Amino acid sequence: MVLSFFRGGDSGLDHVVTRSVAMVTDARHSFDLACTALMTGADPRLIADDVRETDLRINANEQQLRGELAVHISVHGPNDIGEVIGLILLLKKIERVGDHAKNILDLAESGVSFVNEPDIHGLLEERRIVSGFFTEASEILAEHDGIPQSFRERVDSMTSQIQSRIDDYMTSEQPGHQVVPRAVYHRYLKRIVANLNSAVFAATEPVRVAGNAG
Amino acid sequence: MPTGARAALVVALIYLFLVGVSSLEAGIKIMGADTQERLFSAVSNPIAGLCVGILGTVLVQSSSASTSVIVGLVASGALGVDQAVPMIMGANIGTTVTNTLVSLGHVRQSAEFRRAFATATVHDFFNILAVAVLLPIELIFRPISGIAKWMSELLVGSGGTEWKSPVKKWVKGPVEWLKDLWDQLGASGNVKGALMVATGLVIVLIALAFVTKNMKALVAARIERSLNAILGKAGGLVALAVGMVVTIAVQSSSITTSILIPLSAAGVLTLRNAYPVTLGANVGTTITALLAALAASSADSLTVALTHTTFNIAGILLLYVLPFAREIPVSAATLMADLAVRRRVLAVCYVVVLFIVAPLLGVAILR
Repeated sequence: MVLSFFRGGDSGLDHVVTRSVAMVTDARHSFDLACTALMTGADPRLIADDVRETDLRINANEQQLRGELAVHISVHGPNDIGEVIGLILLLKKIERVGDHAKNILDLAESGVSFVNEPDIHGLLEERRIVSGFFTEASEILAEHDGIPQSFRERVDSMTSQIQSRIDDYMTSEQPGHQVVPRAVYHRYLKRIVANLNSAVFAATEPVRVAGNAG
Repeated sequence: MPTGARAALVVALIYLFLVGVSSLEAGIKIMGADTQERLFSAVSNPIAGLCVGILGTVLVQSSSASTSVIVGLVASGALGVDQAVPMIMGANIGTTVTNTLVSLGHVRQSAEFRRAFATATVHDFFNILAVAVLLPIELIFRPISGIAKWMSELLVGSGGTEWKSPVKKWVKGPVEWLKDLWDQLGASGNVKGALMVATGLVIVLIALAFVTKNMKALVAARIERSLNAILGKAGGLVALAVGMVVTIAVQSSSITTSILIPLSAAGVLTLRNAYPVTLGANVGTTITALLAALAASSADSLTVALTHTTFNIAGILLLYVLPFAREIPVSAATLMADLAVRRRVLAVCYVVVLFIVAPLLGVAILR
């Protein structure tokens, strides 16, 4: 540990960004596993440990990286305050994504399964798209080059699609045991997409830039 | 500024610092035996010397600067090793004022302030306890200066003799140039000596301030990595080593200990994690006086610099390595922080009394 003073390597905010990308990968792993239990008939008990351990790892990383951001400010002063605020938000958002993945697992553990349901293909397609958002979010964070317009558009479109599904469930005539799990699942899915979106926003545009026109 | 240019600037500033120490020594020598005698008698009482060390360090907010000046004074013969040792110990106490002042910045948030003030005062209590235990022992048996003298003799020869420091030769040119400058401006005798001392002091303070600033910029990423490595998981020995290495790099214990305060306030670093870092900083900061001794011409100056190192190591062995003793500064700091949170004015009184009123009274009564 003392040798870390003499060694080179990632330091400061770059290090936090690198680790936050790994946290997004962990969150995606949890999300995919939880959805597997819900949509492919895999036994939730077999994947529960993995999902919970991953969630604990995400939470521990969040705590550690927040500490490292405090160290950064203490050592460097307030020069990077905007970026640090953004990264603190980013870490919180990723941690929430991990929590919602765990909520989806809880849904599967409570006996919900969409495996033999008529809308399973639509649900799998949504899961595939959202899972892809994780990968894109990781790339955006790693490249730190702004948010591509196409990403914003697709996220907005998916958010609207999920919201309209939730609205439909709320007014559906179908029995509660069918619509309630779907409404709850889509609520989690919407929060996951929103938090991923907020995470990349927080990292790339941490503070709204004030106009200087007076 | 590019790293290479900044590194070169640091080397130049260290050279300037050594010129300052040498100029200080030369100035005192010019001022003659009378002045030296007056300085000698002013701090002949060890408690007065201790108080002068505290006050001088509080004034410049840097034990590196004050101990370097003490080394310069010893080199000139204005101070003896026996007079300098309590002053060096006082410098150790005085240097903690900076992080204590930093901790007062958290005064409006009770929980933060409790943690910040405890971390700041654990350094105070350790240094006060170390002096309380080791100064009487030193005055009676001289073990610390004895070890330092032994090491000094091993390195450069017996105390009181002149030693041919190579650094002394390198800085001789600029010091002679300064002497000529004051000559040409019409200064002579004590005035010239006083001007040389003043110039030396200014050079030492400015050079050290800029060395610290530039070294911090050079090694900030490394400091960050080291502190990250010890967050919540490192043992005391590692934290101690990190504190020492960081302080040697930035040449300022105040920088190291002040970085810890916001981290403790935020709850990122516990008091028990921060405590050994401050002890490492105590040892690390002694490098500056050792550096200053390289520019001095007497073996005694090296002895005094080594006394600073030996004293801090002895303090750690006595108050940190022994488990029951380790808890004393931590408990005292926790208690003090609790009191300060209940009555904020106590925190301010504590700083004013410990760092200003008590040493001023000590000097006034005992000198």
